[in-house]
Amino acid sequence: MINLIGGVPLYVLEFGDELVYLTPYTITLFLLALTFTVLVLISRPEKQVDIAFGGDAYRTKEISVSEMRFRRFMAIACGLATMGAMVTGDIFNFTLFTAMVGITNVGIVAAVKSPHVQDAAYQYGLVSLSATIPLFGGAAVYAATTGSLSMIELMKGTLPSVPLIAKGMLMLGVIGEGMAPFYAAKAEMFRAPGAPYVIMCSLSSLLIFLRVVEIVMLG
Amino acid sequence: MMWDQYNIGLLCVLIAGVIGFAALARETDDLHRLLLLDLVEITALGVIALLGTDLAEALVLPGLTVGIAELLALSQIYITKEGLKERPVRGLNIEVIQMADAPLIISGFLVVYGLVLSGFTGGGVAGLGLVFYFMSRGYKEDLNMLEMASGISWAIWIFAFFVFMFLPQYWFIALMGAAVGIVLKVTVKMSLVGTMWGEHRD
Repeated sequence: MINLIGGVPLYVLEFGDELVYLTPYTITLFLLALTFTVLVLISRPEKQVDIAFGGDAYRTKEISVSEMRFRRFMAIACGLATMGAMVTGDIFNFTLFTAMVGITNVGIVAAVKSPHVQDAAYQYGLVSLSATIPLFGGAAVYAATTGSLSMIELMKGTLPSVPLIAKGMLMLGVIGEGMAPFYAAKAEMFRAPGAPYVIMCSLSSLLIFLRVVEIVMLG
Repeated sequence: MMWDQYNIGLLCVLIAGVIGFAALARETDDLHRLLLLDLVEITALGVIALLGTDLAEALVLPGLTVGIAELLALSQIYITKEGLKERPVRGLNIEVIQMADAPLIISGFLVVYGLVLSGFTGGGVAGLGLVFYFMSRGYKEDLNMLEMASGISWAIWIFAFFVFMFLPQYWFIALMGAAVGIVLKVTVKMSLVGTMWGEHRD
């Protein structure tokens, strides 16, 4: 069943019952997150250009060093959380990493002191806070019906099958945390200047969405 | 039998969640929506707690922590967004609580009971006692000392975990170290939450 998407685990790192496993699929996603985190680490923020309408005048927005530092830190934290979500083999850990992606996504934009951006970040924060309910709830129903949160156990196919509601709740939670297929809802947030950091919001939500597709196919 | 109870409980919690979300959809004030969300968040913990096993306890705590972290972050954004200035807050301004000995006795009881419980729960109970004391008396202590104590107790906790992993035959000392470390850590963290009214105090 899982061979459809994930492929056979190449490597399983057992760390107590928290295990990490790597398949060709998760390795690809992990490397993507890693590459982008390194890019964020070394690149300088772009300066957004405002053009006066109907004239030749334009000016670039100033970005203070403290703001840049905070946003870079948040973007790196977001990258680390995404990497964790890509390789973890435990459903509850996945939900925690996903919730962390949600918090850091808000943090990346909330450092910008513009009323529009702050307002959008607040609304997005409300959505991601409400998404933790189906997210953790879904993981709990997984544990209640199958008795295990380990993805390795789930893919063996010996456990009872996971009810559709649990998969639906998990999916709903990930969509809410990252707004994954609904990027237009984040458009207002992208008024925040600073290219590499803002794109981390999109990339992380895309990656957690791709991973949850794999998880839902298990069990 | 147990399965029936679980299903009924799940149904109740989901209905509570739907009611919460319905209220959320009708509410337009930003601050009220944040408060309502905190309320709805409790239902998520309810779904996890319904498992009724040790695993549930281990899962509720991170869930709660993430919820509190998001709530703190959002309230900070709300303050910045609305341009609210810092107002000096000095504890609960209730004369009976400030003058009487009751807060001291109650928080003393909670701290002692928390130490007896030990572990994460004990830390929560003891921390609650300290929060109550600081809130009722106003804040006079040096935060840096508390933060340092928190850091050291965290280090003890991590050290105990390394003993579990590499020297499993000394599990008892590791267990004690972890229990003491986490009780101090949670106590200190919670009392910091109780005393941090803002960054600039006089």
